[in-house]
Amino acid sequence: QALPVPTGPNTILVSPRQKENPILKEIRSTPWEWADIPADYVLGTTTCALFLSLKYHRLKPEYIYARIRGLAGKYALRVLLVVVDIPNHEESLRELSKASLINNVTLILCWSAAEAARYLELYKMYQNTTPTAIRAPQSRTYAEQMTEFVTTPRSVNKTDALALVTNFGSVRTAVNAKPEEIRILPGWGQTKVKHWCSAVRDPFRAKT
Amino acid sequence: MSAEELPPVKLSLPLEFQQEIFRELRSEDELLIMARGLGLLRIVTNFLHSCDAAGNNLILIIGADDRENEWIGESLAEHATISRAPKCRGLTIVSNEAVTIAARAKMYANSGIFSITSRILIVDFLSEWLDPAIVSGIVVLHAEKVVATALEAFILRVYRQKNKDGFLKAFSDVPESFTYGISPLATMMRNLFLRKPSLYPRFHVEVANSLYGKKKVEVIELEVDMTDSMRSIQNAIMECIEASISELKKGNSGLEMDDWNLDNALHRNFQAIVMRQLDPVWHRTSPRTKQIVRDLGELRQLLFAVLTYDAVKFNQYLDTIVAAAQPPPGKIRQNPSPWLLLDAAETMFEAARRRVYTGKLSEKIEPVLEEQPKWEILAKIIEEIEQDMYFHPTKLDDSSDAILVMCGDQAACSQIREYLQSMHKRPENANEELKDDEPSAAFMMRRRLRNYLTWKRSFTKVSASLDSEIQKAMQATEARGGPASRGRAPPSKRRRVRGSAAAASGPSRPELNSVHVAGDKDAHIAALLSNLEVTEVEAQERAEIGIDPLEGMEDYYELYDMKDLVVVHPFDGDMDDHLLEEIKPRYIILYEPDLAFIRRVEVYRSCHTDRSVRVYFMYYSGSVEEQRYLGSSRREKDAFTKLIRERGNMAMTIDTANLNPEETFLRTINTRIAGGGRIAATTVQPRVVVDVREFSSSLPSLLHGRGMEILPCMLTVGDYILTPKICIERKSVSDLIGSFANGRLFNQAEQMSQHYENPMLLIEFDQNKSFTLEPFADLSSAAAATMAAPDLQGKLVMLTIAFPRLRIIWSSSPYQTAEIFEELKKLQEEPDPVKAVQIGLEEGEDAESGAVSQTPMDMLRVVPGITDKNLYAITAEVENIQELANMEEEALCRIMGREVGRKMWKFFNRNVVDD
Repeated sequence: QALPVPTGPNTILVSPRQKENPILKEIRSTPWEWADIPADYVLGTTTCALFLSLKYHRLKPEYIYARIRGLAGKYALRVLLVVVDIPNHEESLRELSKASLINNVTLILCWSAAEAARYLELYKMYQNTTPTAIRAPQSRTYAEQMTEFVTTPRSVNKTDALALVTNFGSVRTAVNAKPEEIRILPGWGQTKVKHWCSAVRDPFRAKT
Repeated sequence: MSAEELPPVKLSLPLEFQQEIFRELRSEDELLIMARGLGLLRIVTNFLHSCDAAGNNLILIIGADDRENEWIGESLAEHATISRAPKCRGLTIVSNEAVTIAARAKMYANSGIFSITSRILIVDFLSEWLDPAIVSGIVVLHAEKVVATALEAFILRVYRQKNKDGFLKAFSDVPESFTYGISPLATMMRNLFLRKPSLYPRFHVEVANSLYGKKKVEVIELEVDMTDSMRSIQNAIMECIEASISELKKGNSGLEMDDWNLDNALHRNFQAIVMRQLDPVWHRTSPRTKQIVRDLGELRQLLFAVLTYDAVKFNQYLDTIVAAAQPPPGKIRQNPSPWLLLDAAETMFEAARRRVYTGKLSEKIEPVLEEQPKWEILAKIIEEIEQDMYFHPTKLDDSSDAILVMCGDQAACSQIREYLQSMHKRPENANEELKDDEPSAAFMMRRRLRNYLTWKRSFTKVSASLDSEIQKAMQATEARGGPASRGRAPPSKRRRVRGSAAAASGPSRPELNSVHVAGDKDAHIAALLSNLEVTEVEAQERAEIGIDPLEGMEDYYELYDMKDLVVVHPFDGDMDDHLLEEIKPRYIILYEPDLAFIRRVEVYRSCHTDRSVRVYFMYYSGSVEEQRYLGSSRREKDAFTKLIRERGNMAMTIDTANLNPEETFLRTINTRIAGGGRIAATTVQPRVVVDVREFSSSLPSLLHGRGMEILPCMLTVGDYILTPKICIERKSVSDLIGSFANGRLFNQAEQMSQHYENPMLLIEFDQNKSFTLEPFADLSSAAAATMAAPDLQGKLVMLTIAFPRLRIIWSSSPYQTAEIFEELKKLQEEPDPVKAVQIGLEEGEDAESGAVSQTPMDMLRVVPGITDKNLYAITAEVENIQELANMEEEALCRIMGREVGRKMWKFFNRNVVDD
């Protein structure tokens, strides 16, 4: 049996089983339509999602396994969208973690219907985008780069970074500054000076 | 066994209560909590020495910081010499991975006393480079830090499992930490595997007798009045703090906020109080709340800065804060600190400026340069002491005539030193009414002001140039001119000309023609500088002041005559005991009040009945300094009272027998195996390979607590290897955000997928913190949905699409994680540590050489151009950040390739001032 193909490229396919699900009302930025599919939602050519509320899972623990079996190995990415709607979630989640490993499903947790809907939209939206946003560091201004570099050692904050670099002129001179020279800067107490100086002078790796 | 029975050991514990404690320590294991300043370290070293002298003991010290290691090492050596005990080995410090494993194993075999960083010790224990059974005893310093999930608690558990006979002593001088939570003392005792707490507050009978029995210390208390402007600044800061707190309350209804008030804000641990409430929801609190919490920290720092910094430095600090608070121009998201908008803040800035200079720029500018009131008092005290010494020449005792001045920190120290050196110098054009013999800081302050003005000019430029790249893009019209120039009146044309002409002789004169170009800011400064022309005396002095007087000490082989010395020193915890012993001062001036130091003087005085001591003790009346001093003594007393009560009620049923994991852990047949088919899998203790860098988290400790065998290894791929197939990368929520931002997580997922069948990402929330991600961006309109940068959820989605095989584990706490790991490992093969270490290593790379220090590596990672892949090219060739920063462009290009090398060189060498 061939998988149903959506009428539009940006449409989420929804199984009629999800009729009563409140998250349907929350899917606003992406169109969706009913379709006869083994999964609950189809989000792309190789991506599908099953929906599970932990409250329901506690009542009918077998349900989700039957549904996963129903997917019958189709789809490369099978998302199990779990709404955490009970306070004592530990045991269920432990079991589902194990199940996700055995059954090749990817667990995504959310805490509200709105968040669940958001995940569905996101999956649809990023279906064919290349993951550049998480692949390489985002380009930033020099001020941001500098601040991030200087504030890496413990207890050094943004104000301190500005004071340090403006006083010494460049990152290089700031790195070379002696503890006595840094100490006279406002805001730089003994602990900060110590952390900064040892961070720039400690060797990267131990000599063997 | 008491001290008397060990003839070769000479102790240095002259006071009765110290001897009493020593006897207690020798006889049984206990947790000793002492009031600050009573000489905890001295007791520790005496105890260690008595063990050292006996020889052949392997004793481990954990929890000691650098200074304490130094102290203990020196005193042990000293004791060894005095006692002439031939078996003494002294202290060996193992503080970083610089000592290789082989060398460490050799050292342990030789026995002796070792102070070891916890992270290294736990790895050595677990990988059995050091067998816990051969350890004679462990000494825990800073016992207050040993919470259930701490590494130290883990170490003690491993130790006690394999070694029931070795001793275990824990020490702390922070009683306050033992009073939070429900029956905190009992909990801590359990973590420490100890049964007996021993409390020595200052009001302990034994202590009081030892200290009051002898002659008392002569104390002269001096209340110093703050100047009006200091008082008004302090009030303004208080007002800002109050406003910030109420803002904080408004933004976070539903939290327990009774403790958030102005009174508590003066305490040192106010930040901790606020964080304890906010921590559970920290990743969900609004940026505004986060900003306010940061503000509170800064405001509190200001509160003390106004008392300790001089007027010029304080004003400079305010300038920096204001500049740092400015959002980069053109950014939409900004959370201005609410206090900056208050009238009180304006009052504060105004008052701070008026302590430095007054006058409108269009008319005459007058440097004011208000002095700190304490300076004059200090000068007068020293004069009085000198007179006293003159009229009552040396009495027949041991004390030296040196004057010891104690102050808060190194910065205060150099300030006082400079003042004392320059207080009789006069700028030539100084006001006539100043008499020559009266001390004055005019000379010093003028120099500071000049430095300030030079700084200010370059600072304005820097902020402007840092902002300019954004400005260019945004074509901002308003934000121009740099943040610091706000609220200043432009000078008139006339003044500008006069100012620049007169400034020509200044030491760092402004460029004449640049005045007009650069605008009002520079003219203002030029005008000020002209008022501060360097006089000839000053010009001569410039070079020599501010230089450390101890420079060139290597060439000076004489002892200073104690009579001429004024020693200025910052408070330095237990190190101060040494200071007192070495200087033997008759006169001590406490520039700031410090409870612990006063006790130290008491102890010192009681130890040396033949020396007389006079203490001058000054504080600003009605200031936060005074309140904090009184508060700290009250809180310590309360803490001890509470502890004594809890000790009285404590049930002594701590069971140390139930420690064997084999007993508690059920290694019986798993009931889920139908027919008991594969029993073989359950007869080995479950094993987890853990990356050594993971030992700073509590998870390895918890896994061990659940009966798993932990194998610390240097892993290139993954943090935890559960089975030959399962590899797990652990991320806390903040790590997750960070490693998405710099692309690290993508690389890690890629590597895991490449080498393991079941790569997994563990998202671990904190115990006690709420189990949700941050609020997701609202995407009600489709346009916003495609425009906005992906939020955390969006990035997770991208990651799972890119790696469909990557599984995600969501865990609400490390405890939960431990249980999930156990579940995942059921019926699976055990991992092979040798293989795990090999995976992901480059050709020819050696696993052993991988020991790295964390902070420098983290700094390296944020340098532009550095990725996870080329990171190791750097660490192979370059020693540290400093060397990297000083490298030539060609050298960098040679290692990193042209593009990256140039980028890095530019990052380090870009001159923000002249740009």
